Amino acid sequence: MTVLDDRTSGQRDDQRDLGTPAVDTQTIVTVLIDGVPVEVPEGTSVMRAAALAGSSVPKLCATDSLAAFGSCRLCLVEIDGKPGTPASCTTPCSDGLSVRTQTPKLDKLRKGVMELYISDHPLDCLTCPANGDCELQDMAGVVGLRDVRYGMEGENHLDAPKDESNPYFTFDESKCIACSRCVRACSEVQGTFALTIAGRGFDSKVSASDGVPFLESECVSCGACVQACPTATLQEKTVIDLGVPTRKVKTTCAYCGVGCSFVAELRGDELVRMVPDKTGGANAGHSCVKGRFAWGYAGHEDRVTAPMIRESIDDEWKVVDWDEAIGFAASRLKEIQAQYGVDAIGGITSSRCTNEEVYVVQKMVRTAFGTNNVDTCARVCHSPTGYGLKQTFGTSAGTQDFKSVEKADVIMVIGANPTDAHPVFASRMKRRLRQGAELIVVDPRTIDLVRSAHIEASHHLQLQPGTNVAIVNAMGHVVATEGWIDRAFVEQRCDPASFQAWEEFIRLPENSPEVLEEATGVPADQVRAAARAYATAPNSAIYYGLGVTEHSQGSTMVMAMANLAMATGNIGREGVGVNPLRGQNNVQGSCDMGSFPHEFSGYRHVSDDTVREQFEALWGTQMRPDPGMRIPNMLDAATVGEFKGIYIQGEDIAQSDPNTDHVTAALRSMDCVIVQDLFVNETAAFAHVFLPGTSFLEKDGTFTNAERRINRVRPVMPSRTGLAEWEVTCALATAMGYEMGYSAASEIMDEIASVTPTFSGVSFDLLDKVGSVQWPCNEQAPLGTPVMHVDRFVRGEGQFITTPYVPTDERSTRKFPLLLTTGRVLSQYNVGAQTRRTNNVIWHAEDVLDVHEADAQARGISDGDWVEVSSRAGTTRLRARISDDIPAGVVYTTFHHPVSGTNVITTDNSDWATNCPEYKVTAVEIRPSSQVFV
Amino acid sequence: MSQGLDYEQRHLVKMANQIAMNVPGRTNIASQVANHMRSFWTPVMRAEIGEIARQHPDELAADVHGALDQLRVVEA
Repeated sequence: MTVLDDRTSGQRDDQRDLGTPAVDTQTIVTVLIDGVPVEVPEGTSVMRAAALAGSSVPKLCATDSLAAFGSCRLCLVEIDGKPGTPASCTTPCSDGLSVRTQTPKLDKLRKGVMELYISDHPLDCLTCPANGDCELQDMAGVVGLRDVRYGMEGENHLDAPKDESNPYFTFDESKCIACSRCVRACSEVQGTFALTIAGRGFDSKVSASDGVPFLESECVSCGACVQACPTATLQEKTVIDLGVPTRKVKTTCAYCGVGCSFVAELRGDELVRMVPDKTGGANAGHSCVKGRFAWGYAGHEDRVTAPMIRESIDDEWKVVDWDEAIGFAASRLKEIQAQYGVDAIGGITSSRCTNEEVYVVQKMVRTAFGTNNVDTCARVCHSPTGYGLKQTFGTSAGTQDFKSVEKADVIMVIGANPTDAHPVFASRMKRRLRQGAELIVVDPRTIDLVRSAHIEASHHLQLQPGTNVAIVNAMGHVVATEGWIDRAFVEQRCDPASFQAWEEFIRLPENSPEVLEEATGVPADQVRAAARAYATAPNSAIYYGLGVTEHSQGSTMVMAMANLAMATGNIGREGVGVNPLRGQNNVQGSCDMGSFPHEFSGYRHVSDDTVREQFEALWGTQMRPDPGMRIPNMLDAATVGEFKGIYIQGEDIAQSDPNTDHVTAALRSMDCVIVQDLFVNETAAFAHVFLPGTSFLEKDGTFTNAERRINRVRPVMPSRTGLAEWEVTCALATAMGYEMGYSAASEIMDEIASVTPTFSGVSFDLLDKVGSVQWPCNEQAPLGTPVMHVDRFVRGEGQFITTPYVPTDERSTRKFPLLLTTGRVLSQYNVGAQTRRTNNVIWHAEDVLDVHEADAQARGISDGDWVEVSSRAGTTRLRARISDDIPAGVVYTTFHHPVSGTNVITTDNSDWATNCPEYKVTAVEIRPSSQVFV
Repeated sequence: MSQGLDYEQRHLVKMANQIAMNVPGRTNIASQVANHMRSFWTPVMRAEIGEIARQHPDELAADVHGALDQLRVVEA
């Protein structure tokens, strides 16, 4: 006899649909399925038990991503001692249950049910896009349906209209069997509740919002409905156009830091669709509109696939072969170093690239370039996370896995907008909120989570931009003065001296909600109520985003949150923690790989002689013991002629970094700018060498997501440039005089593992075997570490840090009376280089400026007007949108389109510890503009 | 403000003063600033802020001067 629950099935790659979800219990029962004894967790559906035993019951309305529904009547079974023929999907297993799944009576019933379905379904299987991939077709075969006695002439839905409004999928009502799988997927999995079944009986039909086309509805195009549909009713347009896929490759999404696993389905080398992987540790079979549908950029006509060079940025590009491009770049860089010194060049690694690609770039800079002038785009997003969490907990990473949110009782979201920026995790979070977890939102904006379908925040602390530290200090004050400190946890786990200093500091009257109310704009009683909720729940978890880090006190804020979590004992188990929601797919990984100028891989300082000597021995060259320049330092040095050459991997700093005028002036002043990217981006306008990059579909390597999960990125198709990016980097390093080469990406990971203690157990073989692991993955944790700091902090004792609130210099003034803050929308991704080259532009064709009605009226601005937005850094123009999502005095925009020039107006203010730019606070003035900005 | 300083120098001054204002706790500030500069600033940046301290002492907070004194002792 075999126990057949999911935890022991051993099939980590199992994509089978077992009909109903797994049951989480330790109680095992024995049931007989067609006379075969089977052990399953108590409460498992008969359908799932049968499927696990290899005796699948026919089904249509059931799928294991959704709760059992019991509507299709196809999964009927007979159970000894029980009357009738119950639905196996809704019948739970109890000990001793004896089930028959195949009897003459059941055969007859099922055939009759199928006959009714088919009597109102088009008989166009041969030309149907789902031919060969249709559950209805499969079930008709399984039950042996050979004819339909009722004919096709009666009243039916065969002429129902087809909705093709969505750019990625169609809704063909004529093929719908009203199983509600799409409706339930939208509700249970995605949590948007955009779909419903309208009408009753024969008139029942799937309706998007209030019967409008999908594109006009609340649908967020996550694709969960398409995935759930058992017929061709909801069908990807690519499948309609190209046909059913013939081969599959498992890989990882290259958009946000959730890092969803996907099964790429192809015909030959042509990608047909991306299907979220149900065994994916980060996404468990769910997806968003970007990951599932917005991959067309990889084959966009703008894609550059051959190297290009030019003497001057005023010249036209000249297409050359790889040897000439590498030779040109190397000789330019060497000339610069000969004239201006070794430190006159540097490099920037990309969080969009794999760990392996990032590792070789930082290695090239430290060895071939001979300098520590290497930095990463995490500089402008989550560098304060690395700094703050290392200071307090001892490691530069979030504490939990995503699944942990399922155990949280209070969820505090600070400076993050997960439904737009991390939508797949947001769905998981929303499911927990619908189960009753309490929600605290700390944000100047009324983000969707504050109030959406079946979700309402208990506390929305709508603070003034730039006052995060004040709010969290005020919450800490309440915790300390009202007796909510978990003293047992603190005494057992934390450094006593630092705690004492923090407690004395946080109890000061200056940190009370009442005193800080004037700065934050949040009534003291609201802060007190939120603090009590956070402190008194069994499990409270903090999730945060760039609204925390991109401030002048970004690092202080991260430490303030860590203080709060430690003081209340909310660290070291499921359901709690301090969790950064990383912006890009491999922000965590690019930081882990030694991209910061002061650290080798694994966050070890370059001044550590032991560590440095280890790298020197491995790499065969001397290394500098002092930190190199950060990105802003490189740009500053460039403007005064001291920094002349840069290698930029997969980043568009001319669009993404603040104070565009300064960035472009710095780029313009350099003698050799090398851009490695998919497209000739804004930065490439200042480049002398363009090295074509590879899309995630062509890469071989790993990404590490926001929960420290290392996932395999597998080549779905051959490189369109002929080379892997790491091969290009190695060629440049070699041309610079440092021999560097690997036989495969796996060899790079082997080197990473050999020199990085938290990665010492990681290899491609392990990942291919177990799917993914979360670092630390080493001898102590061979299968990784889902939750960190369980028995002790990485640094030993948790370190409290006093966190005085220091107001930012960037304040509203008479000249610039409004505060601008920035963010993302669901359909677009960062600077939009990828998503603007997909049909996602249908949802966000331009960046707009959200303006509160009072501010708009005071300036004579109407909805849709062009407005001029000015700060002390510059001026741009955007179309205004009157919005009540923001308070008066605050304006908001996105930065997805280069034409918007959002970062023309952001300033060079930055976090005191890391120089992460203060994107979230810019004092501006707006005025009507008659000139359309094109 | 910042008369006679170029963009890079003004930025260094701002960074240094900001570090002094934000390092945790209000004791041993100069030491914390020195440690921070040693950990995250290049030798060239440290030398440059030292030069600014000599030529434009009023631009920098007292704790930055204290930090630079400590760095000079260590790096001398």
